[in-house]
Formats: sequence, C-alpha cells, structure tokens
Amino acid sequence: MNPFTYKRATDQSGAIREVAGNANAKFLAGGTNLIDLMKMNVQQPAELVDINRLALKRIEKTPTGLRIGALASNSEVATNALVRENFPVLSEALLAGASPQLRNMATVGGNLLQRTRCYYFMDTAFPCNKRVPGSGCPAIPGFNRIHAILGASDKCIAVHPSDMAVALAALDAVVNVEGAAGARQIPIIDFHRLPGDTPHVDTNLRADELIVSVDLPSSAFARRSRYLKIRDRAQYAFALVSVAAALDVQQGRIGAARLALGGVAHKPWRALEAEKILTGAQANAQTFKAAAEAVVKDAVPQKHNAFKIELARRAVVRLLSDVAGVMTGGAA
Amino acid sequence: MSDQNIGKPVPRKEGRAKVTGAARYVDDLAVPGMLYGVTVRSHVARGRISEIIFGDRIPWDEFTVVTARDIPGANAVALILNDQPYLADRIVNHAEEPILLLAHEDKYLLEEARRAVRVEIEPLPAVFSIEDSLAKKEIVWGEDNVFKSFLVEKGNVDEVWDSPGLVVVEGVYATGAQEQLYIETNGVIATASREEGVVVQGSMQCPYYVHKALVKLFDLPEDKVRVIQTETGGGFGGKEEYPSMIAGHAALLAWKSGRPVKMIYDRAEDMTATTKRHPSRTRHRTAVTRAGQLLGMEIDFVIDGGAYATLSAVVLSRGTIHAAGPYNCPNVRIRSRAVATNAPPHGAFRGFGAPQSIFALERHLDKVAAAVGLAPEELRRRNFISRGETTATGQVIREEVDMGALLDRAFELSDYHAKRERFSRENVGNKIKRGIGFASFMHGAGFTGSGEKYLQSVVGCEATAEGRVRVLAASTEIGQGTNTIFAQIAADALGLDYERVEVVRPDTASVPNSGPTVASRTCMIVGKLVESAALQLKQTLAGAGLLQEPYTAEEFERACREYIEKNGALKSFSQYRQPEGVEWDDEHYRGDAYGAYAWAVYVAEVSVDTLTYEARVEDFVAVQEVGRVIHPVLAAGQIEGGVAQGVGWTLYESVVWAGGRMANGQMTNYIIPTSADIPPIRVHFFENPYAGGPAGAKGIGELPMDGPAPAILNAVEHATGVRFDSVPLTPEAIMEALEGEAVKA
Repeated sequence: MNPFTYKRATDQSGAIREVAGNANAKFLAGGTNLIDLMKMNVQQPAELVDINRLALKRIEKTPTGLRIGALASNSEVATNALVRENFPVLSEALLAGASPQLRNMATVGGNLLQRTRCYYFMDTAFPCNKRVPGSGCPAIPGFNRIHAILGASDKCIAVHPSDMAVALAALDAVVNVEGAAGARQIPIIDFHRLPGDTPHVDTNLRADELIVSVDLPSSAFARRSRYLKIRDRAQYAFALVSVAAALDVQQGRIGAARLALGGVAHKPWRALEAEKILTGAQANAQTFKAAAEAVVKDAVPQKHNAFKIELARRAVVRLLSDVAGVMTGGAA
Repeated sequence: MSDQNIGKPVPRKEGRAKVTGAARYVDDLAVPGMLYGVTVRSHVARGRISEIIFGDRIPWDEFTVVTARDIPGANAVALILNDQPYLADRIVNHAEEPILLLAHEDKYLLEEARRAVRVEIEPLPAVFSIEDSLAKKEIVWGEDNVFKSFLVEKGNVDEVWDSPGLVVVEGVYATGAQEQLYIETNGVIATASREEGVVVQGSMQCPYYVHKALVKLFDLPEDKVRVIQTETGGGFGGKEEYPSMIAGHAALLAWKSGRPVKMIYDRAEDMTATTKRHPSRTRHRTAVTRAGQLLGMEIDFVIDGGAYATLSAVVLSRGTIHAAGPYNCPNVRIRSRAVATNAPPHGAFRGFGAPQSIFALERHLDKVAAAVGLAPEELRRRNFISRGETTATGQVIREEVDMGALLDRAFELSDYHAKRERFSRENVGNKIKRGIGFASFMHGAGFTGSGEKYLQSVVGCEATAEGRVRVLAASTEIGQGTNTIFAQIAADALGLDYERVEVVRPDTASVPNSGPTVASRTCMIVGKLVESAALQLKQTLAGAGLLQEPYTAEEFERACREYIEKNGALKSFSQYRQPEGVEWDDEHYRGDAYGAYAWAVYVAEVSVDTLTYEARVEDFVAVQEVGRVIHPVLAAGQIEGGVAQGVGWTLYESVVWAGGRMANGQMTNYIIPTSADIPPIRVHFFENPYAGGPAGAKGIGELPMDGPAPAILNAVEHATGVRFDSVPLTPEAIMEALEGEAVKA
C-alpha cells in the first residue's frame, strides 16, 4: 500500500470541498473495496476523506417510498423491516453478496461505487485499460470466464460485481448526490456506464460529488420482487449471472414488470426489451421464455463464457416463474 | 504405560495462544535494523535472459541487490536432484521463476523498485501439458522430459488379455492442479554473515530440509546454520519444500546487506509462484471375469512435475504404489512417469500422488462393475484385499483388514442402498437430480519403502528437576496437532499428567532431526519414537534405583531431581529402527512399501441442478480404520478438513493456466469451498491397534484427501447417468455433457 494522508470529515460540505480541492483525494466509507484496491496497488489515492461521521445513515419513509442514507450499512438495509416488506429484492440481493463481516462495514453509497472489475484489473502484473487507460485488455484474448456477455467494448469486458445495484435497477431507484456545483438526482439506470472507449470511468458521478441517499419509489411490483444469484459456491462469490425481477400480476396477467441482470455487463443490466414482452402478457412459461430470449438476444460470448448466455436464459425463466408463482415444468 | 490421556480430547497445546491472538507468526516478529526483501520473477515460461534493466527514479544505491552471481555456495535448492536454482542464471524454465532479489527498509519504495526492474527475456518454445511433454514436442528437461519413472510388476499381466470369457475395460482419467491455500502465506526472517553463520526463522513444515538447503547454498558447516520454526498457519505440503527457497532468498539478502531481512509473500505471489498439487493423467486397462474377479490391471500413471524435479519422484512413487488400491489382483503392471513442463514446479500436497491415482482407480472400478453387470460395491467386495494377500508391490498384508466391514458401516450410516434406489426412481422428471456413490481405498503411513530406514529419525525426551518432561523433535505443529498428541503419548508412557509435558519449539540448534512433517508419519513413526524415548527416560530412572512402579507424580519429580543432582541432565534419545521382517527392493519396486496402511470407505451424496448445472455435495460419510485414535477431536478434524479439501479439488478449485502461469491467483477467482458448500461430514473410526505405532496408532493426515473425488464423481454419475472422468468438475463441464446428451436424445 502507498502512503496517503487521512482526514476525518465532520460536515458534508467540508468533505465535498476537501475532495473537490484535491484531484487525488477519495471519500472513504466502509472501505471494503477501496482499501483492498489500495493494498493491491490498484488504486493509489494520496488522500482519504473519511465520511463515516456524517449523518447519512438513516432509512426513512417518504411520501412516495423510502429514502436510504448513503452510509446505511448493507446489513442494516438488508434487515430493515420496511425494505423487507416493500422491496424484498433489495434485501435478498444484499444478503446474497459478500459475507456478514463485509456487509456490516459496506455502505449503500460504497456498494454503488465499488469498481467494475475483473481479475486482470486486480493484478498489477497485467496491463488493463481500466487501471491504466490505453494499456490494453488482457481479458479479451485471455481467460474470461466471469466476463461480460452484454454491452462490452473492445477496450473492456469487465462486469459490475454488485448485487445491490441490480436490485436497485429493478426498483427504479434514484441516487441523490451533492457536489461542489450543487445537488442533483441520477436515475439508477444512468448511474453506471458501459465501458466504450473510456472503461476507466465506471459511473456518471463527478469526482467531487458525494452520494447522500438513494430513493426507492413504492409500487406493487416492488412488493413482489425477488433476487436469484448463481455463483461458483454457496457464499462469498460474485455472481456468474444474477437476476432481479419485480412483477405485478393480476389474475394471471402481468401489469408491470422490471427485470435486471448482474454479472453480465459493465453495469447492472436493465432488460427493457424483456420488460415490454412481459408487460400485459399472461404470466406463463411461454411468456417467460420469450422474455429470456429477449434478454440474451444481443449477447456476445467471450471465449470462456458462452455458458453464461444459457445460464442467463434459465435464470430469468426460473426467477420469473418463482415470482409469478407459476410452475413452468420440464427440465429447463 | 497408563491410559490417562490417549483417546481423550485434551486441550490443544497451542490452542489458547491461537484463539487469544497471543500466538506470534513470523510476520508478527521484527528484528532491529531489519530490511524487507522481495523477489523479481520471470514473466515468461521459458527463455534466455538477455538483459536486466534497472529503471529510473529509484535510488538504487540504497538497495541490496542479489543475483545468481552473489551466491556463496551452490545455486541449487538441495532436495533430491538439486536441479532447481535459487536464482535463474541466463535461462528461465517457468513463469514466476526467481531471477533477482531486492532489499530495502522501506516496503513501499521496495515495491516500486521491484516494478522498476525490467528483465529482458528471449522466449524459447515451452511445454505446458503432459501430452506435449511425453510426445517430446520440445525437450525442456534432461534428455527426454522424464524426471522419474517406475515399473511395478506382479504376476504376468500380458498373459491374461486373451483368456476366454474375460471382459476388458479401459478408461482414461485426469486430475487438475490444486493450490494448498494455507491461511498463512510463506514467510521468513533471516540473519546471515560469514562469522555468525545463517539463522532463519519462519513458517515451515521441515526445519531440517531448510537446514540442509542453507548449508549447501552458503557452503557452511552444519553448526553454522540454524533454522527455527515459528508458529505456522497451515502447510498441507505447501511448506514442505518451498520454505527452503524463500529461506535461501532472505538469507542471501541478509548475507549481502549485513542486516536482518524479512520476506513475506502476499497471497497473489504465494498462489502463482509456489507449488501446487501435480496434475495427472491415468490410463486403466482391466481384465475381469464375468463373475467380477479382477484378473489383470494395467495402469499407466503420469504426473506433471513442472519445470524442476523437486519432490516429483517421491510424489510419483506414492501415487504409483496406491494406484492398484486395496484389491487383491493376481496380475498387475503399473508404469508411471513424472514429466517436465514449463509450469512452476508442482510439489507436496496432502496425499502426495495417491489422491490422483486413487481417483482414477475408483472411478474406473465403477465402470468395470457396470461392464460385468454388478453393483459397484459387489465388484469391490469380490476383490477386497485381506490378511495374507498381497498388494501390487507384493507386500503381504499382515494386519487384520476387513474392508467389507468398513463398507457395511459406511452404507449403514449413509443409508446407501435405500437412497440409491430412491434417487434412481425420483430423478425421473425432477430438475434436481440426486445421486449417491462411494470409494474404497487405503493410504500408507510413513515414508515409502526404505525411506524411513534412510531417514533414521531421532526424538529426544528430557526431564527437568521439577519433574516436567520436554519432548525434543523437529516435527512441526502446523495446525494438525503434533504438540498435543506428542504430549499425550509421552504423558501416558510416563504415567504423568498431560500438563507436565511440553513439546519444544523445533529449532535445529536444540532438537534432533525427527524427519520432515509429511507423509502421515508424525503420529505413527515419530510418535512411536516419542513413546520409546519417554519409556527410556523411565527406565533410566528405574535403572538408577530412583523410581519404582507404580509411582506418583511427586515420586517422579523427586527421582528426576535426585538423578539430575547426581548425573546432570536427564535426557533420552530414540532412533528409528525398521521393524523386523520389513523388506523393500528399491530397484524392482517390490516388497513392503509401508509399515502400515489406513483403510477407508467414503460415501458421498450429491445433487445436480439441471437448470444451473451446479453440483453440490449434500451429505458425506467417512469410515476408516486408522489404528488407535490418539485424540478423537483432532482426528475427526483431520478427516473433516481433508474431506473439505477433497470437495474443493473435485467441484470448485480450478487452476487456470495461461502461458504456464496461474491466471487466477486470487481468492476471488480461485474458488475454494466455504463452510456453506461443505456438507455434514459424519466421521466414524474403526480402531484396530497397530503394533508399530504409539499406543497402536497409524497415520491419518493424508487419508481423507484420497476418497472424496471418486466418491463424488461416482455419485454424480448416479445422479445424471453421465460419466465424468476428470476433476475439477465445473458446472460448464456438466452443462456440456448434459446438453450433449439432450442433443443426442
């Protein structure tokens, strides 16, 4: 780890000023991703501004839904009664991620800002366009089992590792941020970026902007939402493919649908085409299979991860069937 | 001898220090004036070093830089063939091969400096697979890429193939590399100078291996080299030979700088640069009668040794001897080879070649059973070895062996027959397929063949004037319980409380060479020496007329005090002597390969999700006969840990190779199972005391690594109806096979 200076922020605007004034400064919340990256020399901030003392931990009801403070821990959110009742997919997704120790430390804001990454990004023995822009991508010709099947570029095929953010994508969450230039709201779907030619930029957040909270609008579909994560072992592994699904089903017909996937792209992947197929259709196996086909229609496998396409298809069908309470039968 | 401690779950000697955090591992230690050391390694698998360029912006005059030219003695890690250099000189033979060493007191600057060294290497063609090595696609070692080969012959297998009424069954089986993944990475602290000699302390299994290597590296007399084991966070074989390398590196830096040097690998370096389990490929050709009698077995066993010979010859030896399993077959030929590739050298890992060859055999026997229309257990029952019969090396089994009874118990505990029948019925139409399978096997304890005879291990026992007993041995506590069981054995031999016995920290300046902590030998071989050294202590006191049985602790204490006042130190030493009637022919690989075997039957129950292709082990039963159990909790822990490691090897742990380098050397992408992936493991011991072991105990540490892989894949075959003959078995492989079936159907 490189030496760095550490400052503890006591107020929000002071924290923002401090980071705005130093191009090589970073906010420190739970530290569960940033500190790892620093230890491995992947990131080398010269200054850390610790925001853990800021009053951003509250989870509170709003007229339209729920507001979750950026410093609320993943554990607190996952076990919150309002979250579990109204947004079960978020609780399930959080509990599917990391380990209890990490969830106790990790925050909502930090989870959103964890780096989109792959093992080449984490290993400084390799070049990486995300770590050192223009240095090349060894994942594309290399071992790329965990990598993207959707939205990748010829510069980067890494996937966003968050479970929480996939749930937020299916819940139409809005991220509230504040920066030197003032406050603004970023819809979750616009928060993370695809790699394109600038894979070193993961999000549309500006360097001096601080996430202060996340808003979740209440809805019927949000109350009927689930998360399915498929991974290499039962705990403590990133998703190979994950699915967040939210459905409003009335008399067998789907009123509203939200579908998002994790582990498949550089950002949480909202499946808008599939949602169109689901909306207004009968909740049955045929509909779900059609939705799954729409999800992977534009999927492009890497050399070692063609299995992910079939896995994504199957995971979508399984989860939609579970959420709708429909038996789809058959082996697949 | 009393029976106060053996067989009881006494507290672990080092348990309190570990759970309270008081135990000091090497990275917890610091020495005044200490520098840190790092290694600059090869980025190519094979090539010629043309230039070493030291980049700008680094104050190189502040650094200690060591290359091959700075080595005072021999530039080879002393082991078996001494072919592996400490630092590559002109030629590199594997990725991550050490080329140059750096030391500085500032860790951060040191890391920058390491990155600023550019080694220009002209690549040479390299070999990365067993097949290419055997085909001599490129000669990368010696004349033919073969480190070692063995031929074991029993009867005449050539004559059986044409016999009428025979069924001949063939198969090919493969296993992958596996990282030991001990919790504590490799690390040492060294001080060194011509005047004072070399002192190394660190994490290790075999202090005297390191000692021997340093003597040659520095060309010093033996008494000028001292090696001390610090608290060690796991080994599994991964700290058998590799500590000789890192110890040498740190000592070279200390020698040149004149300052103490600490060297600790981070996880990525430890995973990519140090040893792993040998990948293997085994071919079987078996002749069996229609009644299920094994008549002939021809086995071709090959392991990938990586770039240097290191321990491959002995790994191959153990794998070869275990290749025909606990069966009585009249005609056997086992041909085996350890071949060179340009991977980092593969090394010792729990089981030491046996898990590889046993995997092949126990998968193959399910195929043989199917070919003659027998249930898998019925085929094995008809061929199990028993007392008076001979193994593949012609070793006559002298102990009572009842594999059938182990099988019965394992089937009873796992409800094997009912589940076998029920799963077959229920799997039709279910998305989750379930299966149950088993493996039966044996594992020899101690060094192979004449190994123990050559080692001539020595253990000492010392009594203090306070009547406390100190066990002096080089056998290391690496989490498996050495200190606890030695204290139990010595305490019972002397009829004393467990608390009166202390096991001295291994330090080559103060303990005799009791041999390496490997090969399931610590309890059975070294423990027996502890027992006899302790008994000698008692005899010495009795011979001096100071002690008479029965005696109290106070009487023992008084006897010790009086003896020491009169004669000075009270010590006894016991040296290994090969038991009568044990014969081994090294040239023809015939005879008594091991003093004793542990015997086992393991049953695995699995589920395979046909939607996600995830295979899980749902239940596991491990039944074994290991002689007398010294410590029931530690013994069960050894079995559970070995089974967990076996589950990992079978279903999770996939070393991905890219150009001869491990491409997934991180714990996020080298997947080991967590506790949530490990099934309930029900351990059952049969205790049949073995005369050659302390209180009747045999070796146990490696045994549980042998059974899980074949038992699990036998269960997966039952669940899916598809044969899988290589590990690791990933979900992708299952998908490919099941989808292939679906396409055909």
